Amino acid sequence: MLLNRQIIFLYVTLAVSVGYLVTALSLGSPIAEGTLTPAFFPILVGGAAILFCSILIVQALRAAPETGPADEVRSYAHVWVVVAIFFYILAFKPLGYFLSSGLFVFALILLFSKFEKMVLKAIISAVIVGVAFVMFQQLFGVRLPTQWG
Amino acid sequence: MDFIFLVFSSFSLLADPVNFTYVVLGFVIGTIFAAIPGLTATLAMALLLPLTYSLSVETALMACASIYMAGMCGGSITAITINIPGAPSSMMTALDGYPMQQQGKGALALGHAALGSMIGGAVGAVLLIALAPFVAQLSLLVKTTGKFSLLAFALIVVVIAQRGRIPQAGLAACIGLMLATVGLDAMEPITRFTYGYSSLTAGIDLMPVIIGTFAIAEVLTQASARTDISAAAAAADNVKIRRRDFLPPLSDIRKIGFGCYFKSCLIGYFVGTLPGAGGSMGSFLAYTETVRTSDEPETFGKGNPKGIAASESANNAVCGGAMVPMLTFGIPGDPITAIMLGVLVINGIQPGPQLMADQAGLIAPMLAALLFSALVLIPLTLWLIGPYFIRIVSVRKDVLYAVIALLAVVGSYVATYSTFQMFMALGMGVLAFYLRRNGFPVITMLLGYILGPNLEEFLRRSLALSNGDPTTFFTNPDSLFFVGLTLVFVYFLVIRKPAKTPAVV
Repeated sequence: MLLNRQIIFLYVTLAVSVGYLVTALSLGSPIAEGTLTPAFFPILVGGAAILFCSILIVQALRAAPETGPADEVRSYAHVWVVVAIFFYILAFKPLGYFLSSGLFVFALILLFSKFEKMVLKAIISAVIVGVAFVMFQQLFGVRLPTQWG
Repeated sequence: MDFIFLVFSSFSLLADPVNFTYVVLGFVIGTIFAAIPGLTATLAMALLLPLTYSLSVETALMACASIYMAGMCGGSITAITINIPGAPSSMMTALDGYPMQQQGKGALALGHAALGSMIGGAVGAVLLIALAPFVAQLSLLVKTTGKFSLLAFALIVVVIAQRGRIPQAGLAACIGLMLATVGLDAMEPITRFTYGYSSLTAGIDLMPVIIGTFAIAEVLTQASARTDISAAAAAADNVKIRRRDFLPPLSDIRKIGFGCYFKSCLIGYFVGTLPGAGGSMGSFLAYTETVRTSDEPETFGKGNPKGIAASESANNAVCGGAMVPMLTFGIPGDPITAIMLGVLVINGIQPGPQLMADQAGLIAPMLAALLFSALVLIPLTLWLIGPYFIRIVSVRKDVLYAVIALLAVVGSYVATYSTFQMFMALGMGVLAFYLRRNGFPVITMLLGYILGPNLEEFLRRSLALSNGDPTTFFTNPDSLFFVGLTLVFVYFLVIRKPAKTPAVV
């Protein structure tokens, strides 16, 4: 399973590298009038990335397929953390720092623990958000978005 | 000599309450982060990076120096007491520290670790203060072609230092270089790889790259792994440490010997000057050298304080060494110096050969703070809060990672007051998470990103100056020197197949 995930990652990286190289080639000729153009270096880097990707894919395909333990439990908590951060950023300005951060911290505490003692966790979230606000806004002079402007 | 006086006169800045508070606070935060398994001082510095906007450059750099020093010695606390190194650089310390703990001599092992860290940190800082001005003078001799060869040397060494995963390191470096090419070209008014997004015209900012790579990726890794530290927390609860046991007896120090401390310091310092090597490599080499030259090698791994002294002296001496290429050439030796470089860049200071000559006044306080941290804060922290530090392991992980995530995301907003940077930090975090998960060293990506713009610029300038003749890299003495040096490293690290060493970062 791990090997499959790794190969998928390498294929995605290869696709990105090819896309990068194609974009670099579209910038024009790498050498013009005896000097290097802005396309030269990206073409070099894109080519090298494709080479390294190809080596790694061949290595991964040649390697004996690894099978993980049958009872291996796959955790997707990291995906939920990414989702939480994404929506937090979306809500940051419209909802303001306090509401968006409160919900975000509460969600993360739940993701890293169990669905129990919710009131205590809500209080801890509020305290964290308040302390962080004082630290950013009062101590370091950073203006954070709030509902009151 | 002027620079040495400048550094020593900078100690007066520590009398300023603001500077003193940040240096002490930085040291305590660095120690806490280094002591908690899974967290590192690099993460602490990444989280605190946005705050440097509101500090003076001197204060920010002084705080960075104390975090760096704390990060190297803080990991030994859990390495010795519960056999879980808080930081990779303390891996070798656990080999002899934990057996001492099992023999009821845990506090003594912590004392030896602190003494080794103190000596290593101080020797590294003194060597840095003494040698950096000379290296800076030498670096002025390096011209455009030499600069390209030097940067290429740094990048190649970082890649080939990742034994057993060189293609992964090469690909990670390429990804970093790709990120570096986004935005306006350095020499011609052409935008590249912006795909119509005007926010990308100025390129990808350093802040979200660092926060994403070290903070958000760490939160994702912890969420994915869900490391169960309940056993470690329970073990920590059973550890009893008394202050009076910290002091290593003179007979122990004599048995370890001045030679062992000094040799380990030199190994750590010179390993530190190599790009990408870092504290774990330094302590590993010093430890193996100490075992090799010992009259009683069979006692190592069973609680020999000499092993702790060698490991801790070396990893703290790395701090001084790693700053040499960062200050003189703008090449960071490890992730922490990469973030320090970020502090300089954020404040509009260009690291490189001219830095030591033109802005020595900004750098000197940082070196004073490094020496102060080694000589004063390491023993003082151990004495004052050493008996309680082990309780750090028991901290609630759900609250801890929620706080880290909040500081990371809001911190990336601080730079431009734009949510775009927050999304960039998230994107970089996801990228770094998947790179780490698949065995790619993120330090090579970071170095590719940091060195990329200069690498390209010097390549194009060199070839423009030589009318497109690539032999210019072999005919200019400064460039030829670095080409030769690269070949030497390739020979020793790739062709000669040396003994297996721990993977770096």
